[in-house]
Amino acid sequence: MIGKRESRRLAALLIPGTLFLGIFFMGPLAVMIVFSFLEPGLYGGVEWNFYHLNYGRILGWADAEWEKFDPVYAEIFFRSVRLALTNVAITLLICYPAALWVSGLTTRWRTIVVFLITLPFFVSLVVRLFCWVLILRPSGFLNSTLLGLGLISEPIDIIYTETAVLIGMAYILLPFMFLPLYASIEKLDHSLVEASSDLGASPYQTFLRVILPMTLPGIAAGAVLVFIPSLGNFIVPDLLGGAKVLMIGNLVEQQFLSARNWPFGSALSVMIMLVMLLLIIFFLRRIGRSEIVK
Amino acid sequence: MIEEALDYIAEVKDAVKRFLAPEGGAITALDGISLEIQQSQFVTLLGPSGCGKTTLLRAISGFEELDSGEVRIGGELVTGVPPYRRPVNTVFQNYALFPHLSVSGNIGYGLEVAGVPRKERDRRVGEALERVGLAGFDLRKPAQLSGGQQQRVALARAIINQPKLLLLDEPLSALDRNLRQSMQLELKSLQHDLGICFLFVTHDQEEALTMSDQVIVLNQGQIEQIGPPEAHYHQPATRFVAEFIGDGTLFSGEIQNTIENPILVTKDGLSIAVGVGPKVGDKATLIIRPEQLNIAPENPDDSMVILDAVLEQSVFQGATRRYVCQLANGTSISAAPTESGDQAFSRVKPGEPVRLAYRRSAPHVIIET
Amino acid sequence: MKHPWLKRLLSVHGLLFLFFVYAPIIIVVVYSFNSHPVNMMVWKDFTLDWYFSIFGFPTKLTEQTLYVESTDQLVSALKNSLLVAASTTTFATIVGTTTALAVYRHHFRLKPFYQGLLYMPMVMPDIVLGIALLVFFVNFSIKLGLMSIMIGHCTFLISYVFVVVSARLAGMDDTLEQASADLGAKPWTTFRRVTLPQILPGIVGGALLAFIISMDDLVITYFIAGVDSTTLPVFIYGMLRRGVKPEINAIATLMLAFSFVIASLGLYFRKRS
Repeated sequence: MIGKRESRRLAALLIPGTLFLGIFFMGPLAVMIVFSFLEPGLYGGVEWNFYHLNYGRILGWADAEWEKFDPVYAEIFFRSVRLALTNVAITLLICYPAALWVSGLTTRWRTIVVFLITLPFFVSLVVRLFCWVLILRPSGFLNSTLLGLGLISEPIDIIYTETAVLIGMAYILLPFMFLPLYASIEKLDHSLVEASSDLGASPYQTFLRVILPMTLPGIAAGAVLVFIPSLGNFIVPDLLGGAKVLMIGNLVEQQFLSARNWPFGSALSVMIMLVMLLLIIFFLRRIGRSEIVK
Repeated sequence: MIEEALDYIAEVKDAVKRFLAPEGGAITALDGISLEIQQSQFVTLLGPSGCGKTTLLRAISGFEELDSGEVRIGGELVTGVPPYRRPVNTVFQNYALFPHLSVSGNIGYGLEVAGVPRKERDRRVGEALERVGLAGFDLRKPAQLSGGQQQRVALARAIINQPKLLLLDEPLSALDRNLRQSMQLELKSLQHDLGICFLFVTHDQEEALTMSDQVIVLNQGQIEQIGPPEAHYHQPATRFVAEFIGDGTLFSGEIQNTIENPILVTKDGLSIAVGVGPKVGDKATLIIRPEQLNIAPENPDDSMVILDAVLEQSVFQGATRRYVCQLANGTSISAAPTESGDQAFSRVKPGEPVRLAYRRSAPHVIIET
Repeated sequence: MKHPWLKRLLSVHGLLFLFFVYAPIIIVVVYSFNSHPVNMMVWKDFTLDWYFSIFGFPTKLTEQTLYVESTDQLVSALKNSLLVAASTTTFATIVGTTTALAVYRHHFRLKPFYQGLLYMPMVMPDIVLGIALLVFFVNFSIKLGLMSIMIGHCTFLISYVFVVVSARLAGMDDTLEQASADLGAKPWTTFRRVTLPQILPGIVGGALLAFIISMDDLVITYFIAGVDSTTLPVFIYGMLRRGVKPEINAIATLMLAFSFVIASLGLYFRKRS
């Protein structure tokens, strides 16, 4: 079917991308996976021996002299998953009504508001987090204001808590939840909502029986898009969580930049990747590819 | 032989094309089709959706390669020839106007890519605009035109290269009824003026009958009948054509002999007299068109066949009225009598018995082989 | 609707939502003009000194501003960022577009594989990709520096361009290309005269997106930047880790303004498409 010329054209178009991603995307992932099964060297670096205790330290079978299972890693891992899930719930609860509101505006206002909501997405992540550092730190905007108004007598500790981490993560990831939700609500055929209330359903029933099920793909897409960057995040816990709210990302960073145990760091990283892959596969099975793309 | 071949602008021989169905398995779009298209004719490919008519068109324009069989355009074999080297042009169903080019940019596109100098191009674009009645619209963008105007631009763009054969893929389906009817007449006269052959694809039998010199009825990848529109209507070759083109009631059965005339006996035992032609033992289908039916006169002569029925309802249709009746065996049959016959009908009320009559020789009989 | 109170409730929520999104940004912008030398969150006077100070101009405030001497570092970080963003955008736009053309304009057996491959870098958590690249570069003795940053950025920027351009390609009526061929245009002419003008807004939008993402990337750059090849986000992150200084307000405000301009341009191009 494909002519000779066409297949030559196809090859010319495909080769640059294939080579680049093959070498510099698949390659690094493969090397990382290999590293996660190597023995850490005494002074950083690696010994080229097969070694499974990197995983054993996390999952519980390591009992060698140096490499012992420590439940703290599992704890951090589960804390990360818990915080990521909480973040999904928070962004969903904030964004869903907002998306409903936007979809009910006139076309002109809708364009403006969607633009306004998308805009901060293009602002540097550090800058957006810096805003919250300014607000939340002990001598920050929140405390200054509350003290100034006489609502509190001494500064409240909010930075370096899970709350601060959650606020920061929700703030930087809002657009990832809002946009898929808005897309699916926007697509919703309004006559279905009218049909439902025409058939006697209360707004609550209409929401529960018509709107919610029909926007489920948008919810799922938003959840995945928020969950993945939340799980491995280390910038937010680093700036807003401090040492008290370590997440798996911080652990990985430490292994690479201070502990210099690269194989162990690689193993942790492979774990993050596995969680992500499982989630994506599950998602693709249930909802289909098209929703992620949007 | 050679001279004869040159008479045809396009020939298709034993064309077979199969597609893989998404669920697996193959769909046969073209199942061994052969046909010849003569010069300067308006030919219509007619059939229900999925009958293979668009695939056939795309095989001629070069967007589909046949699995087997061959296509000749102007006597030359075009197997493996890409669309841009074929001397045919297409009017697409959705018009496919280039949104970023102006009307004249669209129309002049074919000339431009062929390297026609600007002056010559402008002149011919002007002529084409004139011809389709869009003079003065040259600088507009397609999005600023109505559906009918877009249609004309697509038409002008396709004829400017003076193709040997113009292919039209359901080009009128997006227009509303009134516009469609006037475009039908315009297309017909345009074809007449240009003298090039139009191959027109449609699923609308009325459109096919209105415009065509030749109608090719396709069904399930095979040709049912080729001929002038009148033949399809009055002498349908197959039961499919009889059902697809025009209204009417079909009676299928076996011809049995009586003393005078052959009689068609249907499975459910209805006996209907038919005209001369079919032989005893033939399996046959009789088709009675609504306009062939009238109320039986007081003293029917020998050439009339009488059917006893009950009037169910009368439906106003503008020029005529349609009377839906039911025969004794439950078959529904419609009559659309002329003005004089209409008066006789108007005295009958729904629910009352009515005697229908038609000339024995009028209805066509399809003999199945 | 029949329930005005419901609508009102939604409106209130919507406005609070916008407030939540913009209040922190506005606070930073406002306080970047605050002259209070000790507590930057207590308003004193309007001043442009912080802006002057980051550009190395002489100002009234001296001792408390620890970053006056690091102006050179800041400028070099900015230069690095712009250099990396410009070159990676160019490369990623070309490769992303050709790959999208291959995948969405041809039929071949590996098509689903390619679609998967190109979505992977976008869904891969930053930290995983960052350390994978680090391990890769170090293992193959590739020097960490601007080159490694550029390579790292391209791995995911190609995907972003691919997605934007292929959305445009998928939305484009493919009968247009058939019409062009039907009118006698050879494949290259069809590409130049029909396909390219149609997908150009997608290509421009994809390029702008790539540029912004590259300028903004922190996590991946953080791992693969060499000692002397810091980019702006990594530099600011480093500053933030050492303590909050008023100049950061000013730098943040300038970056905000820059992002807003680029984003507005990008959204304008997307609207047009």
